[in-house]
Amino acid sequence: MVQLQDVTKAYANGVVALRGVSLRVEPGEFVFIVGPTGTGKSTLLKLLYRAEVPTRGRVLVGDRDVTRLPAGAVAGLRRSLGVVFQDFKLLPGRTVFENVAFALRVIGTPREAIRPRVQRALDLVGLADRARHLPAHLSGGEQQRVSIARAIVNNPPLLLADEPTGNLDPNSSWEIMQVLSRVNLRGTTVIMTTHNKTVVDILRRRVIQLADGEIVRDQVRGLYALDA
Amino acid sequence: MRLTRSRRHPLGFLRGIGEDAASFAGDAAAGFRRNGLMTVAAVTTVMVALLVVGAAVLLGLNLTRIAAAVEAQVEVVAFLQEGLGADGGTRLSTALAGLPGVASVRYVTRDEALRRLRDHLGEGSAFQDLVTTNPLPDSIELQLTDPSVAPAVAQAVTRQPGVSEVTYGGQVVDRVVALSRSVRLVAGLLTAFLAGVALIVVVNTIRLTVIARRQEIEIMQLVGATRWFIRWPFLIEGVLQGGAAAAAAIAVLIVIYAVGISRLGATLPFLPLVGLREALEPVAGAVLLGGAGVGVLGSMIAIRRFLAT
Repeated sequence: MVQLQDVTKAYANGVVALRGVSLRVEPGEFVFIVGPTGTGKSTLLKLLYRAEVPTRGRVLVGDRDVTRLPAGAVAGLRRSLGVVFQDFKLLPGRTVFENVAFALRVIGTPREAIRPRVQRALDLVGLADRARHLPAHLSGGEQQRVSIARAIVNNPPLLLADEPTGNLDPNSSWEIMQVLSRVNLRGTTVIMTTHNKTVVDILRRRVIQLADGEIVRDQVRGLYALDA
Repeated sequence: MRLTRSRRHPLGFLRGIGEDAASFAGDAAAGFRRNGLMTVAAVTTVMVALLVVGAAVLLGLNLTRIAAAVEAQVEVVAFLQEGLGADGGTRLSTALAGLPGVASVRYVTRDEALRRLRDHLGEGSAFQDLVTTNPLPDSIELQLTDPSVAPAVAQAVTRQPGVSEVTYGGQVVDRVVALSRSVRLVAGLLTAFLAGVALIVVVNTIRLTVIARRQEIEIMQLVGATRWFIRWPFLIEGVLQGGAAAAAAIAVLIVIYAVGISRLGATLPFLPLVGLREALEPVAGAVLLGGAGVGVLGSMIAIRRFLAT
């Protein structure tokens, strides 16, 4: 599903976020990427949805070589994956339903196909009854679930989540993890960066630990830290 | 692996546009409300630039028309040596009429020449001296079959015995052509400068809308909207601004030109001016094209940075 081959990313300001990183994620996997702030976790995700281009090495998503993707093909790549952020990135002036429908509308989905698909996505994240609310009237956890619904409404085979529980209290974090697990059970590959030790230690999924832009651990059914 | 729906028609974005036409128009209207003053400034600046474009086109049209009229009137005038007499003049007329390129000749005596001069200048006290000692020579005016042969005919006429001097209207044509060329150059430079200013204002106005909708653009890009889908509303806004400026400029030009040609026509009736109806099409075409061009270019530049991935 995802492959990085000896990827190095140096930003224009000289910061080297990733150094010679290679990894492979199989379809259907659930992967945590852990490590302290500034170790390149977000950069790694950005390379996958082509918000950044690697300085060296190759990035493959599905059958696409993301490194060689012409600008016009980025839209196609983005339609094959969903992205969730720490700060939700919802449109404040639109209802929950409209926020999720927006993702389908702007890629030219036929009007009649939008409603049932948005409904299904909201059902999956457990927010069918909040469809008409504005984001501001929801809790943080609920807002994050809306953003997950938006990310998966197009049925992408890959979901990227960048610190999705970073702004949430423990209860809301669990709601999010349940939703992400449900999405993963449907066959969607999930790659999630996190600081949340509790979540990682309880779920026991594959853990990739980064330090200074390098992979220092890649462990199946791992814990947040080796000495934990 | 399961990828996205492969149901992607190459013109799929058009359907999206159709469905979203209402929301695009709504966005444009919202943009105007939000940046009303800035939009007025942009439209005004573009209009001023387009006024210059329109004025240049009008001036160019008229100069071309005048040059053509002068050219059509080109005649060669042969001034005769003194003492040739009426017989000599008639004989020379016949000889000149036989030259290639000459359509007709007219013999003008020195008395007739003086009468013409008096009609032209009006009766004055100084004129009485002239009547007694008429300094004008007899002359023969040659109408040509084609203005372009004027230099050759003038050459041939010079060689005829009894001819003292030859002039032809070619110099006037050259001067009018040179004038219209420099008008075009000055107008071109002025237009380029004003278009640059107009472009900067349009870019800044539309950038305000882009910034106001930054969140939406970011999410659109994230979920895979095509760049054209994202660009359309801004292009429409730009074209609307340019179009409004063009319409205003055309209205102003029509009023000014209508007044202008009626005034000029009254004082200089012999000037062959281009009529309003005839001038409207090329002027409106150039102005509309200029307005739409600045609008499209401005919005493309304004959104460019935000579309870079």
